[in-house]
Amino acid sequence: MPVGEDSAMGAKRSGIGIRAPQDALAGVFLIAVGVTALVLGADLPMGTLRSMGAGMLPKSLAVMVAAAGVLLLISAFLADGAGLERWHLRGPIFILGSVAVFALTIRTLGLAFAGPLAMLVSCFAADDVRWKEAIIFALAMTAFCIILFKVLLGLPIPVIAFL
Amino acid sequence: MDLVNNLALGFSVALSLKNLALCFAGCMVGTLIGVLPGVGPIATIAILLPITFGIDPTGALIMLAGIYYGAQYGGSTTAILVNIPGEATSVVTTLDGHQMAKQGRAGVALGIAAISSFMAGTVATLVIAALGAPLTKLALLFGPAEYFALMVMGLVFATVLARGSILKAIAMILFGLLLSTVGTDLESGQERLTLGIQDLSDGVDFAVLAMGLFGFAEILRNLESPETRDVVRGKIGNLLPNWADFKQAFPAIARGTGLGAILGILPGNGAVLGPFASYTVEKKIAKDPRRFGRGAIEGVAGPEAANNAGAQTAFIPLLTLGIPPNAVMALMVGAMTIHGIIPGPQVMTKNPELFWGMIASMWIGNLMLLIINLPLVGLWVKLLKVPYRLMFPAILIFCCIGIYSINNNPADVLATAFFGLIGYTLIKLGFEPAPMLLGFVLGKLMEEKLRQALILSRGSFMTFVERPISATLLFIAVAMLALALLPSIRKSRDEVFTE
Repeated sequence: MPVGEDSAMGAKRSGIGIRAPQDALAGVFLIAVGVTALVLGADLPMGTLRSMGAGMLPKSLAVMVAAAGVLLLISAFLADGAGLERWHLRGPIFILGSVAVFALTIRTLGLAFAGPLAMLVSCFAADDVRWKEAIIFALAMTAFCIILFKVLLGLPIPVIAFL
Repeated sequence: MDLVNNLALGFSVALSLKNLALCFAGCMVGTLIGVLPGVGPIATIAILLPITFGIDPTGALIMLAGIYYGAQYGGSTTAILVNIPGEATSVVTTLDGHQMAKQGRAGVALGIAAISSFMAGTVATLVIAALGAPLTKLALLFGPAEYFALMVMGLVFATVLARGSILKAIAMILFGLLLSTVGTDLESGQERLTLGIQDLSDGVDFAVLAMGLFGFAEILRNLESPETRDVVRGKIGNLLPNWADFKQAFPAIARGTGLGAILGILPGNGAVLGPFASYTVEKKIAKDPRRFGRGAIEGVAGPEAANNAGAQTAFIPLLTLGIPPNAVMALMVGAMTIHGIIPGPQVMTKNPELFWGMIASMWIGNLMLLIINLPLVGLWVKLLKVPYRLMFPAILIFCCIGIYSINNNPADVLATAFFGLIGYTLIKLGFEPAPMLLGFVLGKLMEEKLRQALILSRGSFMTFVERPISATLLFIAVAMLALALLPSIRKSRDEVFTE
């Protein structure tokens, strides 16, 4: 993209240094992924092209991922690009936390409890939650899921685990 | 004639009471979920995958295909009524479709979308049936080198046609390929990149990755960007287009079908180009191009036909070569694998009932969509008003139950949460996760073919350029990539995707 098209966002940044923060961070992320894979796969044999070893492809791909990261990082210094987006903690914590709650309670308590529990934890992630509505909805949805998955589809999912 | 016999076999399978019911249920729930704003076809299929687990493979695939068409159609409904495109291909529908809706012609827009989808679907079904057998024969001629080259070409197409930066799309494909190498190496039995975790020795589960990236990460994305829903108020109006509307729309439908069907066959995400191409063509040849963007019926009919034709012919590379051309088809591969079917040329010979049954059910599914959607528009409009604060816990619990049910393993659910976090990070860093899923699905097959090709050639990479078919495919791939990187084309590519 030509440098001349200075957007409102780009104008805020100074002339030298990182001009596309999002791409720079993305590049760093890719480099980290590549290096991690290289470290984890360090012991795997490369083999030869005629008979590839277990490490040939993972290592080559890891190098390519890291190389893409380097290119991205370099490009972030050469041309203006998108700024960093705001990272929120609330969404990831409560949404992914509710998934973890489900994972930890499905075997010990069963769907009848894990369902409403997970759904109510996830509600903390929304700004406009109405608790009465959320509780009724969570219970109704769980009942619906039990009927659908357990009764109609016959999946072996525990409903009440400790009985 | 073979074609007639095959289709007859297909219809005898698809028309059984059970399969009809599954097709109907698939179309119904597919539309139901697909119509929800912010839930595109990929997420819809990922969410609904678990409900097919208890069904036999043929029935499950018929239902999944129904879900896919339902989701596509639901996406158009959302595009027309709420101005929120569920995915790239329905962006075009918002342009004129939502304008028509604002002018009180929402019913006609929905009606013409359904009719053009059905007509395109009919033609596309015939195309698949006609091309299925010859392409499968061609595929059997392919050696490992050709397969590898074809997959490279498919992945290059997918990057060129992805939204945003090409470098980032390539990086995502490489990341997906890298993830696919996690697990036990099939040749040597060595564990690769597993961190010593037992559950990883079989590799990353496809469904875990897909639901993490498209179920949970999407929820996180949607929660942060408060949507502006512009639900059309007032009457939907008459659903059936009148004769004048139809006469105006018909040529557009025919052209859109042709464009969409051809582009959809391309390995790599060709289907995504269909609606854009159709819209551009219609605008170019219209007597009065200024009508476009202000509720021109051709602007809905053409792209919708192209969208549906492409959505369907995209099955061709999957069913004949076993190569998914886009993320949705990658998801179908995952679903097929869960049901014990490895997509590829052998499906047609070993499982003719499944192959032709699925193709016949595509047409039946399209017919059902036409029939169920028109009377149910009122219900969809109500669904469009469901607030997101209720939608996301429901999506969440469906995904959780689905992942748990694959192996009855709570660790899978935790792994999905992890990939949700990865997906969120990727979105924040401006990556599109769809190419990653495609790379992941193709990874294992690519490695296998690469190894075989190199064993056959005694370790020489020249085999890929010495064999004519492989050389041609790779040449096309390189040429596409070079073209896409040319500054002038890059600019117009950006325009296509931002329009």
